[in-house]
Amino acid sequence: MGVYFQVEEYHRPQDLAEAVDLLSIFENSARVIAGGTDVLPLRPGVNKIDIIHHLVDISKLGLDYLKKESDHLRIGAATTVNNIGASPLFLSGPYGAMSDAADAHSTATIRNRATVGGNLCNASPCADLALPLLVLDAILVAAAPRGKRHIPIESFYKGANYTALNKEEVLLEIRIPLCSEKTGSSFLKLRRHQTAIDMAVVNVATALTCQKKHCKAARIALGSVGPIPFRAKTAESVLAGSILDEEIIQKAAATAAEEAKPIDDVRATSAYRKKMVAVLVRRSLENSLRRCGQ
Amino acid sequence: MKMVNIKIQVNGNWYELSVNPGDRLVDVLRDQLGLTGTKEGCGAGECGACTVNLDSKAVLSCLILAAQTDGCTILTIEGLQRGPELHPLQKAFVSESALQCGYCTPGMIMAANALINTEPEPNEATIRKNIANNLCRCTGYDRPVKAVLKAAKDMKENLDA
Repeated sequence: MGVYFQVEEYHRPQDLAEAVDLLSIFENSARVIAGGTDVLPLRPGVNKIDIIHHLVDISKLGLDYLKKESDHLRIGAATTVNNIGASPLFLSGPYGAMSDAADAHSTATIRNRATVGGNLCNASPCADLALPLLVLDAILVAAAPRGKRHIPIESFYKGANYTALNKEEVLLEIRIPLCSEKTGSSFLKLRRHQTAIDMAVVNVATALTCQKKHCKAARIALGSVGPIPFRAKTAESVLAGSILDEEIIQKAAATAAEEAKPIDDVRATSAYRKKMVAVLVRRSLENSLRRCGQ
Repeated sequence: MKMVNIKIQVNGNWYELSVNPGDRLVDVLRDQLGLTGTKEGCGAGECGACTVNLDSKAVLSCLILAAQTDGCTILTIEGLQRGPELHPLQKAFVSESALQCGYCTPGMIMAANALINTEPEPNEATIRKNIANNLCRCTGYDRPVKAVLKAAKDMKENLDA
């Protein structure tokens, strides 16, 4: 018993201050756990990690919530992916990419436990929820020993499985600034079998703010084609200020493919991934345009 | 290693247990409570053989620490049958020949049970989506899907009767 997953001590802090204290005391030997779907499959020696000595459970700290404020949406870090997928907050045009990504994430069973905070902090290059949050300019709120820290999602990722959070910090909340109703967003994911549990070959999110067909602002984020999920800014600049027609969308998609820096691995070759970036970005931009003003 | 004391309700009975901090729910169900109907396949969240219902939701018992389930209600395949007759899902899996070796069956039935409890008349696409985390290597998926459709229909007719 217990041969599959080993840990010295399990901590269930009663409040946030206690959680931050525990992380400050144990630093590198501690790991935060919420849904557990990324933590429990870890095997010391196999996953290039040492034995986890202390687990700090943040799933009972009241961080499971979705709220709409006057100028932003608030998502508690321990909100499950299924709760995001089922929320009416993300059904409309500007935030549609959030529900797309939640529905495409892992499987219905895993989404009952997997949390948005875990998906972000695990910092996988293919993290589905990172992409809509990148195109929606999300701000991440972390609790540190001396108060709270706001981190724009663009500066959150430092490398594969490596974030801007310090060892004693806990991600608390994700804030999405309210968008104009003339914004539409979309997320698309390519995997080898579209219903099965597998990581993305390529995943993308896009957002467009338009007046008729005149593009005021464009956002394109790419996943699984670099060490971190990132914005394809050259492709964005192709669209901003232009009249959105088939030609300009094709050009932006091709530019995004040039910005992608994929590797060959068991799922796909680098060359195939680049081609698929162009296809997915084009389709996602078309979806975003349709959703503008919805 | 510091043991963790938990109180959990499994199949209607409350248990006060002392568990290792690294024990997963599947370890406690099988090794401490002797409920070996819940199977462990991959141990990494990919095969779904260990699916149980936690507070009425389908979850993978290999990806949850037992310590995290303190105060929760758990239903396993052993607790599905009420009274002398098999549960409609169990009956339908038999009548539709939806199993061969049977290793994936408890997990698949528990995933289907959580679905039917929230959505009494699921269509085929919804069923396939909800058992997508349950791998079967001998029967395939058509017969289990038919079995879940039949069970949902039977349960509704029983309710209406």
